[in-house]
Amino acid sequence: MSELNALAQKLAVLSAREIVDQTGARMISEGGSPAPVAAILREVDDTVLERCLAFTCGNATIQIIAAGRRMRGILSVSPKSDADVIGQVLSREEPDMVQAAADLLEELCGKAENMTVRSLPPQPFGKGGERGISADGLAELWGVALAEVDTGPKPPMEQFLTVNAPAFSSLLHICNGEIVSTAGDFAALQTIWSTQVEAFRKAHKKTLRGEEGAQLICLDSAFDDGHSAALALYEDHVALIAYEAERFGAIQASWQRIFT
Amino acid sequence: MVVDELDALREKFEGCTALAFADLSTKMILVTDSSSNLRREALDALCEEAALLLGANGKPALADKPSDMASVASTSQLRVFLRAEHEPNDVLCCICGPKMDADKFVADACACLDRISSGE
Repeated sequence: MSELNALAQKLAVLSAREIVDQTGARMISEGGSPAPVAAILREVDDTVLERCLAFTCGNATIQIIAAGRRMRGILSVSPKSDADVIGQVLSREEPDMVQAAADLLEELCGKAENMTVRSLPPQPFGKGGERGISADGLAELWGVALAEVDTGPKPPMEQFLTVNAPAFSSLLHICNGEIVSTAGDFAALQTIWSTQVEAFRKAHKKTLRGEEGAQLICLDSAFDDGHSAALALYEDHVALIAYEAERFGAIQASWQRIFT
Repeated sequence: MVVDELDALREKFEGCTALAFADLSTKMILVTDSSSNLRREALDALCEEAALLLGANGKPALADKPSDMASVASTSQLRVFLRAEHEPNDVLCCICGPKMDADKFVADACACLDRISSGE
């Protein structure tokens, strides 16, 4: 990556909308995009002054010491692991150790749906002269596509549907009357679209007293099989969704992050 | 007292701006929390929305069957509508700010409604 490209990407990241979760941690990977390990390396690449970066995904946390856009090493992980790489400064002269770090990160967060990061003060780690390995270098060694960075945010509806895809059992996304995308067995959603949606929207509009704009309407356990129904509206986009009822809170949280 | 239950729920959640206990059979708001300053037209609209979303008269708003919980998230509000477990016409209508821990709020609001509905 040329220096100019790197600079352009950093500026794009800085100008992108900051996504912060309910605890105040910054969301860096949603719906598996970007891949969690790539997201970690991107954070390392953005870290100039020495910091302890605390990554959280599900029940796992990973603390990494980074400085000078380099990953010095893994300070600690939770759930606790006895992997030898923990507490060791990474060095190209010890390729097995470098690979062990990749394996540990992949094991802990490789399949995570969401990942957040907090930047904490540095903690004592290794010796002063041990600098670790650059994020670019690790991306190369680990075969991670660090350069595939989205330089701009996706359209809001696409972002919302991508982030929550794991919670959906089926999806019918329509824009201006044309099907944009589908997922799962969407036959029931097509029936709802053709027989219920227009009348529902007309009736609902009467209760809104002029309130328009993006809306997410959720109906708990509205399907006979126990799934909940949602209707997401944004500009000319309409998404009909069947989702797992227990994912309601997470879906609401992502809606809030993207649309408010 | 119903109003005390509503006030306690509203006090617990900073983002909650109005609560109303309603009867779906008459489509009337019966009680609001004591700080609510919604006008009558707004309350009527809220009750109409509850009736539509929760499927008054057994007619589902969308899909196969009426829900016991429905919500509408816009850019400025999260409105939540809940039906009491044992009294299908007893509903709680909630207006919240757009940033709210929805899971936590719904759990507490359900418990509040069930206490009101059962007359505890």
